[in-house]
Amino acid sequence: MRFLVAVKQVPDTTLIDVDENGNMKREGVPSILDPYSEHAMEAALGLRREGDTVTVVTMGPPQAESALRRCLELGADEAYLLSDRAFAGADVHATARTLSAFIEKFACDCSLFLFGKQAADGDTAQVPAETAQMLGRQQFCYCTRIEHRDGGFAAVQDYGDEIRTCIVPEGSVVSVAEGNMNRGLPSIERFMKVSAMEVKTLDRIALGLGNFSVGMNGSRTRIVKSVNVRSERVGKVTDGSDPAKAAEYIRGLL
Amino acid sequence: MIRLTDVPEDSPYTIDECKIRGFADSVLIPENEADVIEAVRSEPEITISGMRTGMCGGSVPYGGTVLSMEKFNRILGVGKDARGFYVRVQPFVTVRQLNDFIRRKEYRSLPSLTENAAEEMAADPNGFFYPVDPTELNGSLGGNIADNASGPRTFKYGPTRDWVRHVRVVLSDGYVLDIKRGDIRAKGRVLEIPFSDGIRTVELPAYEFNRRVKNVTGLFVEDDMDAVDLFIGSEGIFGVITEADLYLAPAHPLISNIVFLRRDRDAYSLSKDIRDSDVVPEFLEFFDSGSLDLIRASRKDDPRFTGMPDIPDYAKSALFFDLPMDGSLEKNYLALSVLLKRYGASLSDSWCGHELRDRERFFAFRHSVPQTIFEYVARLKGSSAPQINKMGTDMSVPLERLDEMMDSYDSVLKSYGLEYVVFGHIGNGHPHVEIILKDMDDFRKAKEAYSELAARAIELGGSPSAEHGIGKMKVSYTEMMYGPEGVAQIWNVKRTMDPEDIFNPGNMFVMDD
Repeated sequence: MRFLVAVKQVPDTTLIDVDENGNMKREGVPSILDPYSEHAMEAALGLRREGDTVTVVTMGPPQAESALRRCLELGADEAYLLSDRAFAGADVHATARTLSAFIEKFACDCSLFLFGKQAADGDTAQVPAETAQMLGRQQFCYCTRIEHRDGGFAAVQDYGDEIRTCIVPEGSVVSVAEGNMNRGLPSIERFMKVSAMEVKTLDRIALGLGNFSVGMNGSRTRIVKSVNVRSERVGKVTDGSDPAKAAEYIRGLL
Repeated sequence: MIRLTDVPEDSPYTIDECKIRGFADSVLIPENEADVIEAVRSEPEITISGMRTGMCGGSVPYGGTVLSMEKFNRILGVGKDARGFYVRVQPFVTVRQLNDFIRRKEYRSLPSLTENAAEEMAADPNGFFYPVDPTELNGSLGGNIADNASGPRTFKYGPTRDWVRHVRVVLSDGYVLDIKRGDIRAKGRVLEIPFSDGIRTVELPAYEFNRRVKNVTGLFVEDDMDAVDLFIGSEGIFGVITEADLYLAPAHPLISNIVFLRRDRDAYSLSKDIRDSDVVPEFLEFFDSGSLDLIRASRKDDPRFTGMPDIPDYAKSALFFDLPMDGSLEKNYLALSVLLKRYGASLSDSWCGHELRDRERFFAFRHSVPQTIFEYVARLKGSSAPQINKMGTDMSVPLERLDEMMDSYDSVLKSYGLEYVVFGHIGNGHPHVEIILKDMDDFRKAKEAYSELAARAIELGGSPSAEHGIGKMKVSYTEMMYGPEGVAQIWNVKRTMDPEDIFNPGNMFVMDD
């Protein structure tokens, strides 16, 4: 079997401060493999059996290669970087379009297509579902567990108000919401092996995509302005010396 | 200036991390240097207080006034000289605060002390780092300077002393001494220090200060020494530091590594092999089987503990080290591979990580050992003697004598029936031996054993205090190291610099007169 994991590089959001205007201060903040992508990686590695392979892919600038190398260090077998100036500014639709093109051309034989539930910087959780829709494959989002069952797979999905266990047909798109609480670390031996491994780079032409299908041109949404929204709880206090009066006051608030 | 005259018995101003409880008549919180001068001129006895993270009671008062420097918490500027870039800090800035400032590259938010320094630093693509990592990142830099703090990275970068460019100190008569390296140098063992009333001649002790090992016992002296060095490691007995410049080093990417071995002694031997090889790690830290077992036990209760994968079952000891991630890395790993084979280990018996968040996990793993000891002892004894948990040694010996010192730890502590674990700075001949104290009887035994071991460390050419300092807890070791004459010579310096014994009385030495 071959498993595909689509990952994303994000700024380490735990280190980001926000300035007085609500803008993120990215200076000096390192880029990392998105924590949810790492959960998807773990899920794929957990499913991999003797003879199976794990392929990772990301769309991003050349420096996103380090996120792919992190995946290789964790145990992935091969890595693809989808990188082209034309990909810049892609929204979820254009991103899913690019990933779908890659999958159709280079990874359509995979038994599962795994994504992180969402990315720590964008938080949309749309890319897995849009990719599944574009590929015409079944989607299983918010999975907290996935395992082999009866020659196929079974997954536990957590929708917050509902947890369900599903049979997952081969070739489905799965987004992973949870992983091991202690992230894996490579051995020095593995790290050295990965240093010698190649990350294959593919551009727009290699994916067979038109200029107006990708990046800003291929996006259906535009960020016009971002606002730092602060919600404040407005507390009200009542004198409780007369319980009946206080109760009446509270009832009035409801 | 804020003055607190009612200092309760449980005041945070009268205790530090050694958990000795002192007492004070008042607490003064100066807002600026003029307040410090006023305090020095008006108070008969001052104990200088920073973050109080010290391990030896150096900031614990026994009467008099606590001078808390908590308002001196600003980074003042950046500059550049022939050696490189530096940051000017007030003494209450913590190591963590400085590290965060450097990581965020906020140089342009500060004045340049020399032309374009802030712009040049901000434009540097690789950035900088402050190489002293005293483990306790919440410690104040004033305290770090007063103690000449070190830590694992001393292995490669030396202690705080090697990174201080300039100090500004309020002396005992209120005079503000503002000196950088090179301004005042001793002639032989005689220093001339300006005060309000003129130059005072300071006769420095004649003893040899042991620089072959990590050492903070007693007053640092050497021939023709720089006056800046008189204040570094002086435990605040000569004045109040109000400002200092600290050099930064050019940053370079690093990879953290832990290699696991199958026997305790293998890690000792491997650390020696590494030191004798061309591999130069940033530091070299050690975990013995007891330390690894304590971490394993804690992880059974809380799998998130340390945030690391499971320690392999076969591992009986481990070495932790950082290597530069540059062109030398492959060569270093190949050399390490050859060394590991001698002990039946290989590069597959290891963890490594280079992302900042992974490297932080490695350090959390290292720092979890003392915490596990607290928890282990708490489980063992329930509520008996809750204030006593462990006693950590702080002795260093020359590397070639480390085996003998380890044998002494083993034989002395076993002869007292004490349980212990070993971890820490093996690369500097300075592993921390943590003696586990289950009750007050263990505490008494450990104190006796500690004295024996301190004497043994000195006999082997080492120091009874490598990095924690002497403070008030370990004053007997100053005399053990330098004899009564040496202590009298330190006292002589103190009498010249601070004749009324205003600053930090009781720190570093005791003198009956």
